[in-house]
Parts: sequence; C-alpha cells; structure tokens
Amino acid sequence: MGSKSSMMLRDEEIKEIQAETGFSSGQIFCLYKRFMNLNDYNCQGSGILLTREKFNVIPELVVNPLGERIIDAFFKESKSDCVNFREFVRVLAHFRPIQPGCNNKLNSKEEKLRLIFNIYDLNNDGYISPEELQTILHMMTGESLSDKQKKNIVKRTFQEADKDNDQRISFEEFSCAITRDADKELSVNFLKQKSSSPSDDS
Amino acid sequence: MSATAHHLLEIRRYYINFLLKLFAFGQKKVERKRVGKDQDDSETSFSEFDQPSLSFEQPRALGIDEDNKGFHMDHVLEYVTAGMASIMEDNVTKYFEPEELPMWNLLSRTNDRAYEFVSARLTVCWMVGFVVRYALLFPIRLIILTLGIPLFWLCMIIVGVFPNGQFKRWLNRKLVIFCFDFIAGSLSLVATFHNTENAPKRGIAVANHTSPIDSVVLATHNYYDMVGQKHSGLMGIFMRALSHASTHIWFERSDEKDRSSVVERLKERVNSPDLPPILIFPEGVCVNNTSVMQFKKGTFEIASVIHPIAIRFDARFGDAFWWQDKFHHYILHMMTSWAIVCNVWYLPPMTRYPEESAIAFANRVKAKIARQGGMIDLSWDGFLKAQPPKKEWLRQQQQEFARHLQVDNTEEEDQWSTKDKDE
Repeated sequence: MGSKSSMMLRDEEIKEIQAETGFSSGQIFCLYKRFMNLNDYNCQGSGILLTREKFNVIPELVVNPLGERIIDAFFKESKSDCVNFREFVRVLAHFRPIQPGCNNKLNSKEEKLRLIFNIYDLNNDGYISPEELQTILHMMTGESLSDKQKKNIVKRTFQEADKDNDQRISFEEFSCAITRDADKELSVNFLKQKSSSPSDDS
Repeated sequence: MSATAHHLLEIRRYYINFLLKLFAFGQKKVERKRVGKDQDDSETSFSEFDQPSLSFEQPRALGIDEDNKGFHMDHVLEYVTAGMASIMEDNVTKYFEPEELPMWNLLSRTNDRAYEFVSARLTVCWMVGFVVRYALLFPIRLIILTLGIPLFWLCMIIVGVFPNGQFKRWLNRKLVIFCFDFIAGSLSLVATFHNTENAPKRGIAVANHTSPIDSVVLATHNYYDMVGQKHSGLMGIFMRALSHASTHIWFERSDEKDRSSVVERLKERVNSPDLPPILIFPEGVCVNNTSVMQFKKGTFEIASVIHPIAIRFDARFGDAFWWQDKFHHYILHMMTSWAIVCNVWYLPPMTRYPEESAIAFANRVKAKIARQGGMIDLSWDGFLKAQPPKKEWLRQQQQEFARHLQVDNTEEEDQWSTKDKDE
C-alpha cells in the first residue's frame, strides 16, 4: 500500500494543494491514501479517478438520507462523471474548521453555506424552488411522511424563508434562514489517524 | 526434535531483538528529518465538538433541537457533515486497511514518504535489509515451503489409510503439529503461547481472525479440526487431503443448505467428547488485527462452553493481514518480511449463563478476546465490507428523522387545511 500511493504525489503538488485548501501536508497524505483506498476497493485498480460507485462502498454514506446529494457535490466540482484528487480535496476543504488568523477561501462561512445551498439547488440555477425543497425533504423522510404533510412543511418553510415572495429562495435568503452556527456545524475535526500499538505482554 | 525446535526458537528471538534495535535507530533518523519538514503539521488545538455520525444499530435523527420543532432548512447541515466526515474516514473500511505502524520497520512498503532516503546510513541499512530479505531469507523460505507442502499432503494421505479410532487421532495430531511447525518456518513464524494450561483438548474453540495463516499459527502448538469456506485449486486439494485424516468441516458459504448442515454437524460434535477440538473464526472475515468485529451468533447457539483464543500479530516485523488482490502477492509479501511475530493467549473456557442469549454470549466472548489482545471491540458486522448495507437501514434513518418532525405536524396539517378551505 505504501509504495503504491507514495510516489504519485509530488512535493510541488502538495504545496499547491496546501495553498489552495489549507490542509497540512499530513492531512493531505491521509486524504490521498483515503482517495486511493476508495479507488482500489474490492476491484482492480482502474485509473486514479473516483466514479459514483466508488463512493458507495462507504456504508455510512449509503445509509445517509442525503448520501446521493453529498456525492453530487463532488461531481459538481469536477463537472464530469469522475473525480480526481484535486477536486476531491477541494470539496472536503470546505469542511475544515475555521481557524482564526488563517485566511482561507474554501472554508469560509460563505463557502460552507454555498455548499449546502447547492445541495438544495438541484438544477443549479442559483435558486431553490419549492419542488427542489420537496425533493430534499422526501430524501430525508422517505415514506414516513405523507405527501400532504410534506407539502405543508414546504409551504411553511418557503413562507418563512422567501422574503421577497418571488416563489424561489436565493442564496441571500437562504443564508438568513440558517439560524444555526454554520461555521461550527459544517466542520469536521480531521486529525491524522493514530494506530493502536500492540499490547505489551506481561 | 523438540530440542532443535527450542534451539531454533532462541535463534529467532535473537533475530527479533536485533531487528528492534535496528528499527529504533531508523526511527531516530526519520524523526530528526521530519521535525524540520513538517512544522505545519502541528495544528492549533480545536475545541472538542461532537461530530455527528450515523449509527447503524440505533438510527437516530441528527441535529434535532427540541425547542425548535418542525422542519427547518438547516436540518440538512448535520447530515451533510456526517456524510463528509464518513468520506474522509469511515468506521468500517478503516479496519480493513493494514495497520499503521508507529515506527518505520525498514520495509519500503510501509512508508509513504520515502523514509529510506532520509540519511545515507539509513539508506544503506535499508538496502542491506532488502538484499537480505529477497536474496537470503526468501529463497530459504521458498525451499522450506516447497518441501513442506508435499510432505504435509503425504502425511495426511498416510494417516487417512488407517481406520478411524484412537490411534489414527493420535497419529494425526502428532503429524499435523509437526507439519505445521515445519511450514511455519517458511514464514519465520515466531509465536509465543501464553496460558497453555487452558489449551483446549476438545469442544469448540473460537479466535479472532486476521489472516489465512491464523490456523497455521494455532496449529503449530495444538491440534484442531477446521471449519471453513471451500476453496478451489491448490488450497482445495490440500483441504481434501486434510479431510482424509480427520473430521474437518468445509462448506460453501453461498449455499443456504450447506450452511445449515454445518450447524447440524457442529451439534453432533459437541456431543462426541472423543473428537479433537474444532476451531472457528466467528467474525467470518479477516480484519486488520487492530479490532475485533461482530461475532456471528451461530456457534454460540450450539455450544454452551467455548474456549476463547486471542491472537495478536506484531505488525512491526511483517503484516499478516491480507489486503493484496492476489493470493501469491500476499504470500510473496509475507515471505519477504522480516518475520511474522505474534502472541497467542489461551483464555479459560467460558460458559453461557442460563438466561443468556446467543448474541449476548457471543459479545461477552468477543469482549474478552479483544481485551486480552489489546484490540478495539467493535460492533460492526464484518460483512459490511463485501455487501452494501441493506436499504432497510436507510429507511430507518429516514423514519427517525421524520419521527422527530412529526411532533407538530398534525396541528400543522389542520392549520393549513383550514386555511385552504378559506381561500
């Protein structure tokens, strides 16, 4: 595993990714290993790009109600049906915790919110329509709510968020509607994995 | 013969200690280099905030605020974060990757950052090590293996000639242990057995599973009948030879009937005290030896007395975990490592409590094994690796979320429907 992934990431590339995303070189290595693992998982190595099925080997993602939309975020970044490592890291960089004193574009509060906005905005037209909200709600609740209940929720939520009453939610309206601490919540505390050492025998 | 074996073991121990000193030397060099390079690695410490994650056993809704009922657009935040966190690192696939070593062991395969070029002395060490492993150790081991396997096969055929009975069992036991010990030389296996007074003489023994050679390790010291998946090819021939000599249980996992016949055969054995102990790996899959995954309850339903055994490999000398695609790559990898070093603990037999369910018993045994071996006790099902999780689980997550929204939906419905009527 080491020799497979080690030599494919050059020093200059690492520096570039560091500058762009703010991840440390240790984190970039971990993510690269992860990227390669997802790539090779259970099948012969097929190039260094991730396709949709490769994401679906992660069990926790498959049972996540928004799993598909989360994966879509990567393909939106790559604008194709494959994701390379740079694109992979760029999307994940949005979830770096915001560090005071560190000026980084990708994990600013606005960028984080924009990623969530894009989860809702299915047709990428820059606005969330009632139908799109309904689709997301359906993904999250499945058959556990009736269509009528979903319609009602959409109606109420739209009323609350759509300030200018144009029957669609813009990014500004969306940002106002998010009352929670987006920058804290949309952060993953990603530290280098520590292995468990073998127990010392008495 | 046991005297020479003992002598050989002493040699192997000196070899291991020498290697450890070498690794420590290498580590010092590496650290010195790293201090300069990776100063950016020290991140400022973050406040410990709870990371949302989805649980398989107990689906629960994420991000629900009891004071703020009903659906809000920011409900998606936690689910997205949980999803992204699982993409960075998930709690299932992480245990199917080889263990990360705290210290480099002079094998280029275990380092990502070209450690071997850190200093001239280290490079020389590594090159010498490389030559020793590939040009000296590997050929010797290969010879031992090519001698050992036909020898083993022959022994089994010979034993198979005899009629079933006590003599056959005795002969089988002696020959098998000898053969496995011989073959174990081809891997430079250094296994230390603890608490040998607990070594099972009959009944059912369970152990955690890391690699195909687990059985080999255990069989160098004590004799067991095996249970396992039928294989084709060379392995299959070997398995058939083993069956001539003793009562192993081979089955086809994908065949429903075959699987239930295993249960029947196991039940029969529990009631025959003359037969040798049978070895079962209840995880069903190989895990990377830092953790123990969920034990399948089948065995624990049949028997009320189980002999647990814990195996822990020391990955510094050679990782026995099989992650390579092809079997011969795996064997090559192992035969060019320094050695395969492991500890085996025989735990005292455990009995099922009168009211205890099979699952609870299985978990109790698993916890004991994990604790003894210094491994993490997990409740994931190892088969999540091979098959995707059931659709049912997704539905459960959705249900949980909907349930939390449901609280004021009924009155919402009325409120909106009356409004519709007015309009």
